[in-house]
Amino acid sequence: MSRPGRAAWLWLVAWAAPRRLRAAILGDLEEEWRQRAERLGHATADAWLRGQALRSLRPLLSIRSARTADTRHPSSPARRTAVMGNFLQDLRFTGRLLGRAPAFVLLVVLTIGLGIAANTVVFSVVDGVVLNPFPFPEPDRLVGVGSAYPRIGEELGFWENLSPAEFVDVRDGARTLERVVAWDMGHRQVSVEGRSENLFSAFWWGDAFPTLGVTPVEGRGFSAVELEEGARVAILSHRVWTERFGADPSLVGAPIHVNGEPYTLVGVMPRRTLIYGTDLWLPMPIAPEAYARDRRQFQLLARLAPGATLQDVNAELDVLARRVEGLHGPEIPSYEGWAMRAMTWTDVNVRTMRLAAFILLGAVGFVLLLVCTNVAGLLLGRAAGRRRELAVRMALGAGRGRIVRQLLTESVALAVIGGVVGVGLGWVGVGAVTAAMSTMAIPIPGEVSMSGRVLAFSALVALGAGLLFGILPALQAVRSDVRGTLQAEGATHTGSRGRLRVQRLLVAVEVAVALVLLTGGGLLIHSFLRVRAVDPGFRAENVLTMRLTLARERYPAERMEPFFRELADRVAQLPGVSGSAVASQLPPNVFTRQTFQVEGMAPRSQEDLPSAFTTIASPDYFETLGIPLVRGRTLARSDVEDGPPVAVVNQAAADRWFPGVDPVGRRLAVGGEQWFEVVGVVGNTRNTGAEAAPAPEIFASTRQLPRSWNQLFLLVRTRGAPYGVLGGVRDVVRSLDPEQPVYAIRTIEEAYAESQAQRRVATTALTLFGGFALLLAALGIYAVASQAVAQRTREIGLRVALGARRGQVLRLVVRQSLLPVLLGGLAGVAGALMVGSFLRGLLFEVGSVDGPTLGTVVLLLAGVAFLACWIPARRAARLDPMTALEAGR
Amino acid sequence: MSRGEHLGEFEQIVLLAVARLGRDGYGVTVRQEIQERTGRAVAVGAVYATLDRLEGKGLVASFEGQPTSERGGRARRHFHLLPAGARALDASRRMLAAMWDGVELA
Repeated sequence: MSRPGRAAWLWLVAWAAPRRLRAAILGDLEEEWRQRAERLGHATADAWLRGQALRSLRPLLSIRSARTADTRHPSSPARRTAVMGNFLQDLRFTGRLLGRAPAFVLLVVLTIGLGIAANTVVFSVVDGVVLNPFPFPEPDRLVGVGSAYPRIGEELGFWENLSPAEFVDVRDGARTLERVVAWDMGHRQVSVEGRSENLFSAFWWGDAFPTLGVTPVEGRGFSAVELEEGARVAILSHRVWTERFGADPSLVGAPIHVNGEPYTLVGVMPRRTLIYGTDLWLPMPIAPEAYARDRRQFQLLARLAPGATLQDVNAELDVLARRVEGLHGPEIPSYEGWAMRAMTWTDVNVRTMRLAAFILLGAVGFVLLLVCTNVAGLLLGRAAGRRRELAVRMALGAGRGRIVRQLLTESVALAVIGGVVGVGLGWVGVGAVTAAMSTMAIPIPGEVSMSGRVLAFSALVALGAGLLFGILPALQAVRSDVRGTLQAEGATHTGSRGRLRVQRLLVAVEVAVALVLLTGGGLLIHSFLRVRAVDPGFRAENVLTMRLTLARERYPAERMEPFFRELADRVAQLPGVSGSAVASQLPPNVFTRQTFQVEGMAPRSQEDLPSAFTTIASPDYFETLGIPLVRGRTLARSDVEDGPPVAVVNQAAADRWFPGVDPVGRRLAVGGEQWFEVVGVVGNTRNTGAEAAPAPEIFASTRQLPRSWNQLFLLVRTRGAPYGVLGGVRDVVRSLDPEQPVYAIRTIEEAYAESQAQRRVATTALTLFGGFALLLAALGIYAVASQAVAQRTREIGLRVALGARRGQVLRLVVRQSLLPVLLGGLAGVAGALMVGSFLRGLLFEVGSVDGPTLGTVVLLLAGVAFLACWIPARRAARLDPMTALEAGR
Repeated sequence: MSRGEHLGEFEQIVLLAVARLGRDGYGVTVRQEIQERTGRAVAVGAVYATLDRLEGKGLVASFEGQPTSERGGRARRHFHLLPAGARALDASRRMLAAMWDGVELA
C-alpha cells in the first residue's frame, strides 16, 4: 500500500471517530504502524492498518458519549453517529432485502445499467466525433472558408474550392478574419533512413500553427522566411511519426527525401492535428500570384478577428465576393453570383456526421426516458408488495421519515449499482465503438474516450433516477392508512387502484416510445436493404484496389505509362488473379469532372459547356470490372498515342447528350482541345455511390494520354479472397521499383460500405435501441399484468369458484392489461409518423411514412405485448380457486 | 448495583489492562496488553469505544499527553483507573467468584 493508500485508511478512521478521540486514535495507529513497519516490513504493517481501520469503523460509529447524548443537536457527535448508524442500518437492511429478491435487483440494475451504458457510449462518441473532434483551442473561432459557384453548378464546398487569388483577396481584404492561411494537397513519397512512405501532404501559404492555436510537440514550425521562400523543410503528423517511425526524436533535424529531393524534417505536429488527414506539411514552393485566378484547388483556414462573429465574417465575405465579381466577372464567368461562406472548422468536417449524431442523441434520450419509466414501474410494483411490511413497521413505531429514508436508500442503492454497471458496460462499449470506428473510415481525427463530463453526466442520471424512482413509491407508502392496510383481508386490494393507474400510464409511455424507436430503426433497415439491393452495374465483389503515385522527380512523363502497363500485365499473370487494369478513378468514388464539347452542337459560351466525369483507364478496365458493353467497342490495346483518339461513354452520358441518336462515330472535345471519337457505349455503374443515380462518365485510354497521369489506381480481379493476392501484387511492384509504395488498399465492396458509414452507424444504433425499447416495454407490460393478477387473486378465485370459465378469466386479464398498450400505441403511431421526416436525410427509396415498416412494427409490438400479458393471464386462469381464496390470509 | 453498572466481559478486560499498566496506559499499550495476555487481536476502535464508555461511567479518567513525532505530531491520551473503576472490577470478580464457588466442570 502506498502512502496515499495509508492516508485513505486513516482518513476513514478519522471520519468515523468522534472529534475528541480522533487525534489519539490516529496517533496510536501511526505509532503502532511504525513499530510494525520496522519489525515486519511495510506490507505487513499496511495489512494490519487496513484490518484495524475496517474493524474499528463500527465500534467508533457506535460511540455515544454519555455527556453529549443530545441527538437532536445537529452538530453533536452523537447526532452524527445516530444518523450514520441509521444510514448503515438502512444500507444493511437494503442489502438483506435486495438479497432476498435477486431477480428484481438484477432486472433493475440491468435496466439502469444498459440505459446508462447506451447514454455513455453515445455521448462519448458524439462528443469525440461531432461536438469536439479537434484539439484546437477556441474551436468556435477557427473557421474554414467555402465557396459556391452557381453559374457552373458548384454547390458550397470546402474542398479544393478556392483559387490562390481568392485566398489573397480574403487574406488582405477581410478585416473580420485574421491569421488566414491556405493550402494545397497532394501525395508525396517520403523516404526516411531508407524507409519509404506515401503520405497525403499539405502545402502551406502562411503559418498554420498560430491559426490552429497549437505548437509542434517536437522540433519547431516553419519560419516566416521558410514559408516565404518555399524552403525544403517538412513537418510530420504525430500519428505517422509514432506509428511508422517509432516516435524517434532524433528524426527531427534529420535529412529526409520528399519525392527524391533532399529536405530537412524540422518538427512534429501535436496529436490529432489532422487537417483533412494530411500527414506531411511543406511550405508551398510557388507564390500565389503564379496561378491563374480560377485555379480552384486550395482551402482556407482562419481565426475570427477579436470581436468579430461568424455573421460579421459572412457579411464581409459577401461584399468581397461582389467586388471580385465586379472586377473579374467579365473574363471569368463562374464569378457570376458566386459566394463565399465561413463555417467553424468543426462544422466543415462533421457536417455529414451531424444527422447521424443527432439521431443517436435523440434515440438514446428516448431510451433513457424508457429506462426511467420502467424502473419507476418496477419500484412502484415492489412498493405495492411491501405495503403490509411497511405498515407493520409504522405500527411498531417507525417514523414516516425513517421509512421514506429507508425506501430512498433502497432506490438510490439500486441506482448507484446500476450506474456502476452502466459505466462499466459503457467503458466496454466505448472501446468496442472505437475499434469499430477505426475500420469505418470516419473522416475525423476525433478520439472517443469517456470524458469526465460523460462520467459526471452518467452519475447524475443514476442518482437523479434513484431519487426520482424512490420518492413516488416512498411517499405513497407512508401516506397509506396503516390500520386499513393491516386490517384489509385481501392484503393488497385497497388503495392499489391509484398506483396501478400510474403504472398503466407508464406502460403506455413505454409502448409509445418503443414504437417510435422501432419505426425509426425499421425505416433505416428498410432503406439499408434497398441500398444493399442496388445493382452497382458491374461485378463489385472480389476486386482489390490500391493507389500508386509516381514521383515526378523520378519518373519523367514518358516512363509513367510503361510502368503502369507493365504493372497491370504482370499482376494479371499472378495465380488467383483473373484480370487487372489501371484507372484514374473508379466506382464508387469517381470525382474528376471536365467540361467538353460535342461536335455539331452549337458551341455556346464557355461557361455553358456540358461537364462529365472523365476517367483515364487502361483497355482492360471494362473487362476487369465486368462493365457490360452496350454498343460499339471498348478501348483497345491498338488505340495508341499516334492513332486517332477514341473515347467510350456510359449509358447515362449517351442518354444525356445523344438522345435518340447513336453516339458511336460522334466526336467530343474533352478539355476543349483534342477531339475524341466515340467508339462505344458501356453500361452505367453507380459511380458516385450506391445511393446516387449513375452519373455521365467519359472514358479515354491511358495509352492515348500516356503523359497526363502519375497517380493511378490498380484494380485486381481475383478468383478467391481479394486480400489473398496482395503479397503477390506487392512483390510485382517491388520488382519494378523497390522504392515505390502502394497505399489506399481496399476492395471495391469495402469502398461501397465506407460510403455508407453514417447510414450503417445510424441503422445499427437505432435498431439496437429499438430492440432494447421493445424488451423494456415487454417487461413493463408483463410486470403490470402480473401485478394485476396478483392483486386480484381472490377475486379471480371467486369468479372461478362461481363458475367463470378459464377463457373468460384469460380474456379479462388480457383485455385489462392491453388497454394501456393500445393507448400508448396510438400515441406512438403519431410519433412514428413524425420520426420519418426527421430521418428523411437517411432514407433511401423509402417514404418518410412507410406503410410496410409501420405495419411490421405495430404487429411486432402487438405480438410482444400480447405475449407479455398472456403469460400472467394464463397463470391466473389456472389458479385453483381454493388456493386463490386462501391467498393473503 | 443497578443494571447499567454491570461490567461486560470486554469492559472488564479493558479496565484490567488499564489497571495493570498504571501510568503507562494509552491506546497502543492497552491494545497490546490485551493482545499479549488474551491472544485476542482487538481493534483500536473497539478499545476506544469501550474506554469512552467507561469514562462516561466514571470508571476511568483520561488526559492528553505531549504530541510526538513518531505519532505524526499527535498527542497520546492516557487513561488511568478511578476508584469507582477499581470497585466495579472488584464487584465483578466477587460476583464471578461467587458463581464459580463449588462448580466442578467435568
